[in-house]
Amino acid sequence: MGEVSTAGSGVGARVRRKEDDRLLRGRGRFVGDIALVGMKDLAFVRSPVAHATITGIEIPEEHRGAVFTWADLAAGGVKPIRAVSGLPGFKVSEQPALADGKVRFVGEPVAVCVAATRAEAEDIAASVFVDYAELPVNSDMLEAVTPGAPKVHDHWPDNVFLETNVGGNIAEIAATAPVKVSRTIRTARQCMVPLEGKGVVAHWDRHVEQLVLTTSTQMPHIVRAGLSECLDLDQGLIRVVAPDVGGGFGWKGLLQPEEIVAAWIAMRLDRPVRWTEDRREHLVAAANAREHHYEITAYADARGRLLGIEADAWVDAGAYSVYPFSACLEAAQVGSILPGPYDFAHYRCRTFSVCTNKPPIVPYRGVARTGVCFAMEQMIDAVADAVGREPWQVRLENLVPPEKMPFDNVTKKHFDSGDYPESVRRAVAAIELEGWRARQKAREADGRLIGVGFATYCEQSAHGTAVYHGWGIPMVPGHEQAQARITPDGGLELRVGVQSHGQSMETTFAQVAHEVLGIPLEKIKLVHGDTGLTPYSTGTWGSRSMVMAGGAVATACRTLAERLRKIGAHLMQAGADGVVLEGGSVKAGAAAVTIREIAHTWYRAPQLLPADVDRGGLEVTAGYKPGSDHGTFSYATHAVAVAVDPEIGQVEILDYVVVEDAGTMVNPMVVDGQIYGGVAQGVGTALYERMPYDAEGQPLASTFADYLIPGFTEVPHVRIIHMLTPSPYTEFGVKGIGEGGAIAPPAAICNAINDALKPLGVIVTNAPMTPEVILSAIAGERGAA
Amino acid sequence: MSAHAKIISLTVNGTRVEASVPPRQHLGDFLRERELLTGTHLGCEHGVCGACTILIDGEPARSCITFAVACDGRSVTTVEGLDDDPVATELREAFSAEHGLQCGFCTPGMLVAARDVVLRRPDADNPAIRTAMSGNLCRCTGYVGIVNAIRRVIDARNTNAG
Repeated sequence: MGEVSTAGSGVGARVRRKEDDRLLRGRGRFVGDIALVGMKDLAFVRSPVAHATITGIEIPEEHRGAVFTWADLAAGGVKPIRAVSGLPGFKVSEQPALADGKVRFVGEPVAVCVAATRAEAEDIAASVFVDYAELPVNSDMLEAVTPGAPKVHDHWPDNVFLETNVGGNIAEIAATAPVKVSRTIRTARQCMVPLEGKGVVAHWDRHVEQLVLTTSTQMPHIVRAGLSECLDLDQGLIRVVAPDVGGGFGWKGLLQPEEIVAAWIAMRLDRPVRWTEDRREHLVAAANAREHHYEITAYADARGRLLGIEADAWVDAGAYSVYPFSACLEAAQVGSILPGPYDFAHYRCRTFSVCTNKPPIVPYRGVARTGVCFAMEQMIDAVADAVGREPWQVRLENLVPPEKMPFDNVTKKHFDSGDYPESVRRAVAAIELEGWRARQKAREADGRLIGVGFATYCEQSAHGTAVYHGWGIPMVPGHEQAQARITPDGGLELRVGVQSHGQSMETTFAQVAHEVLGIPLEKIKLVHGDTGLTPYSTGTWGSRSMVMAGGAVATACRTLAERLRKIGAHLMQAGADGVVLEGGSVKAGAAAVTIREIAHTWYRAPQLLPADVDRGGLEVTAGYKPGSDHGTFSYATHAVAVAVDPEIGQVEILDYVVVEDAGTMVNPMVVDGQIYGGVAQGVGTALYERMPYDAEGQPLASTFADYLIPGFTEVPHVRIIHMLTPSPYTEFGVKGIGEGGAIAPPAAICNAINDALKPLGVIVTNAPMTPEVILSAIAGERGAA
Repeated sequence: MSAHAKIISLTVNGTRVEASVPPRQHLGDFLRERELLTGTHLGCEHGVCGACTILIDGEPARSCITFAVACDGRSVTTVEGLDDDPVATELREAFSAEHGLQCGFCTPGMLVAARDVVLRRPDADNPAIRTAMSGNLCRCTGYVGIVNAIRRVIDARNTNAG
């Protein structure tokens, strides 16, 4: 698909980011930075209880007109959010943007208050009295599926959004396998915690007669579609704009009730309104990710070769189905991806998307893969322990070997390329396993226990049409589009419907365009995240943007290149076949005409154009799909060495290595940044982050003092080793890489901790592996002894 | 609120400002909403994340847990006021070279804190940099690029001084 160089500023070059300067000088423009004349601030009255009927809402006389409830929105024609799935048996929840007579989680918006400042709006919110008749609460997903559990949605027969069954009968393997190991494995509910919370500014633009919603989102076009459905407003009457967005990680990939409310209020009051999520709102109302429970069994032969995997998995999906991804995507994905990067024949997995009195679940970086990898990689180590081999050897025994690529696994996932076993071998070498094994034997002077852990995964990214058509959710990725336009002075404008919230797209898409057209990066401008200015896109999710929108940019630029060559050849009186586009000029032998001159000809001197010039001019919209609808599979092996203090349960990460293969890297610096950042979040999942709930469904953390995200001193100085196997199906061979770093750390760290705890004969299987978890595992064994 | 508003006089990025502020308004809101200095970002508003770090009389401080009325007579410097500051200029260059920022939301606070580390701790090794910076949270970078950027500036200054 074209030559790839690591020099210069095209694909493969480690160039500095175009977005850095404004962000480093405090001149970015985040949604909270926007001030419009006459703008009012919103504050929400949120439910303090997890499950209750609302028996009354009292609004003080002086604040009537400044407080709105669902009754107002419903009277105005606003409809509840309906995020359906076409999977058979899916139960539909209706989520009104403000509670409609019943609240189903702590933090659910009940009323909205409008005032000149946020502080005054919060004063009004504090004066609104809501009468709640409390109902029994589902605070634990396993209890929520037992008979007689209170129902979150009264008209459902149970609390299950969806049950899925994947694979077939493996009773024969179960009966005959020489090795059988079982585990109960759990991950905690987390908050995604982008440093910028969600936020929205809404106003009605009288001139263009459009509702303009500027919002901190990853998917403006999908938000527009959802707003249109809920507000019963034509999409042409809505413009959704994402300004600079301060991190997303999935949390900003949804239609939010607060967006609907802000939009409606702006139209109702005919003035701009703003809502910015504060940290307490985020931690309480948006604790929405990662909560999985597995009962899993692995069957293997005496060498540790996997014969089969059998699992039941539950995902706590919270109270409502979220638009567009639905409540079932995560659990259903568990069923399809639990087999990981391994080659084995027998598989059965049953999954439950459980409805509870907690915030609705939203796919977080890695989506189900972080939990799946945590479960599967513990099983690999359990098998290794059972057969008395090194865990890395058992991985080699089972990973799909390169000679089988491309490979269709037991759930029909089509792995595109790569050498999975080599990533393990390199990780073993890079972490210097033998040295740690020697140190383990010698024992530590301070009494701490040393452990080394590995985890390997592969990650489907840039999901295709068929899979999402299969989900039947309100969003199906098809042909990703990009617009490329040569400006009259020979620069380039790119317009894409995906949205950058830290991924460096202003730089990397410019690198792709430069690779094709040779226009210098400083003359390439990316316009993105605005439904008014860009082609439709499902947005930025699933590590898809570089593959999909990058592919579309390359495709559009190739068409532009063809048109430039034709005009250039005409200007030089050369044949179109005899010219090349090189270094920003069309050349015919020694003669050359620059893109700037060609642009001048099209825009300012059209009398010089060839008679049969393409009337589309120097502006192209092109669509793109990879050669395979199955997406790309990046993969990695993470290796970590830890020291565990058996007296206080503390874990110190001593070394951390990532051996990864993202295919061709458009900008290696940016790829590294995605991996470093992903690993930091994975360390949080592994060791620190947990939103605890009591039996009444009360969240027990509401500040950064009690919900711990990893800081400078908790995250290791990760070492990255690149492999480079291009995808055969994509432009330049790129693969998606945005999420991968966050997938493996909990698994690798868990395996390392268990390696360390081996002399004590105990294991931990639940994340986060806090000192309390580790000490209670040790205490349990001592108690038993 | 306005009945209790207090007139304060302070210097913001070298310019004298007089304002009537409600006693409960924190400095971060004052700078952002009134002075339109939106480079100071609010990440938690309870003094943990460090995104809102600014300088008060040259010392780093959390603007989200500082009341504006407490800054009467003080000198406040935000990231916008560091355009010509030599250390901040070196840090901006290094942050870009080392990919010390992604979404950029924590970045203004990181720069203010990093500037303080560079000035106060020319002897800092990487663990010392991490400890000194541990009052600032970043959710994107995994901190590697930020540590490398501060390392680069400290090393360059030490080389030039030596």
